[in-house]
Amino acid sequence: MSELLEISREEIIDGKWERILNFFRSRSLWMLYYCTGCGAVELPPTMTSRFDMERFGIGPMATPRQADILLVTGYVSVKTLKRIIRTYEQMPEPKWVVGFGSCPIDGGIYWNSYATINHLEKYIPVDLSLGGCMPRPQAVIDGFTKLMKLIEKGEAVGYKKYRLNHDWYKRNQREVLERTEPVLGPPAKGQARAFARDVESVELSHISGSGGEK
Amino acid sequence: MNNREMAVLVENVPGVSSSEERYDNQIEVRADAFALPGLLSYLKSNGFAHLSNILAVDWIEEGEFELVYNLFSYVHKLHATVKARVDREIAHAPSILTLWPQAQVYEREIHEFFGILFDGNPNLEPFFLHNWQDSPPLRKDFDTEEYSRRAYGMIDDGVEHAKEQSI
Repeated sequence: MSELLEISREEIIDGKWERILNFFRSRSLWMLYYCTGCGAVELPPTMTSRFDMERFGIGPMATPRQADILLVTGYVSVKTLKRIIRTYEQMPEPKWVVGFGSCPIDGGIYWNSYATINHLEKYIPVDLSLGGCMPRPQAVIDGFTKLMKLIEKGEAVGYKKYRLNHDWYKRNQREVLERTEPVLGPPAKGQARAFARDVESVELSHISGSGGEK
Repeated sequence: MNNREMAVLVENVPGVSSSEERYDNQIEVRADAFALPGLLSYLKSNGFAHLSNILAVDWIEEGEFELVYNLFSYVHKLHATVKARVDREIAHAPSILTLWPQAQVYEREIHEFFGILFDGNPNLEPFFLHNWQDSPPLRKDFDTEEYSRRAYGMIDDGVEHAKEQSI
């Protein structure tokens, strides 16, 4: 067993063993679909008998720890992003991310929403993006065959990117998820959420005419 | 009881400024915010047992929020819409948690998205938004496009980010 490891390590360096692995990897893909938005509607016809994704060797997988592809279908809100990152980091390498629909690419129709992120590739590496709102099953299958070709050629290296640029990705993730200051500056008076102490202080100032306590 | 009779009945409740029938199965009541618990408990005891929802509307030019309570009566088969205005600067209204416990969800959401305080509600913790630091996002003076531009980066700067990452 230890012999085999040594051999394989050497061959990874010169790329031969990796090429063989990629050949097999591209033909057996387990897909974890994270149905964040409306894209989930297009998956049942893609997976079932009419378009039958399984003839390409792609099947659904229930847990991130056994999946190869993370499919992000639809818009990504900030809360969802946190779960996507946790899911992605649980998946074993090699792993690939497919952004499904317009929203993970540039925000789609939610580009000016306060709740959804605009570029998924700022937070996790996206190997393949499928444009459309939503992409039809034909487009989905076309995208997957492209991804298979990329994997076979060894060009889908998002997970290596993530490892090498871990700091850059983590910085972007923290910027959104662990924000400590208001983005548009501190809320003006009367624009923040009202709490009991605010109402009390204003009403006291009306009674005493002093214009606010302290 | 039809909606015309019900509108006349509700008109005499203290704090009600107008009460009108609407279409053939609805009434619309406008009231002061402080009179809401009394008015709503009167309506509840007169058959309006069902609270459908609570809404908030931002009338920014008039400097007021409008709270809309939608009720339904299974006895009279009538809808009741109760509208109350609150000041935008110190937005607060009495909580109706004691009448309908399910109002908790609506009050908490309205507090999160409009900033209206519900006096007497013990739990107005943020509900939906993740780690929100800015002013409440559904107020009309909140610039959602500028927020998206600064917080998440917009469409036109996608090129820069693609350049920045290199493997």
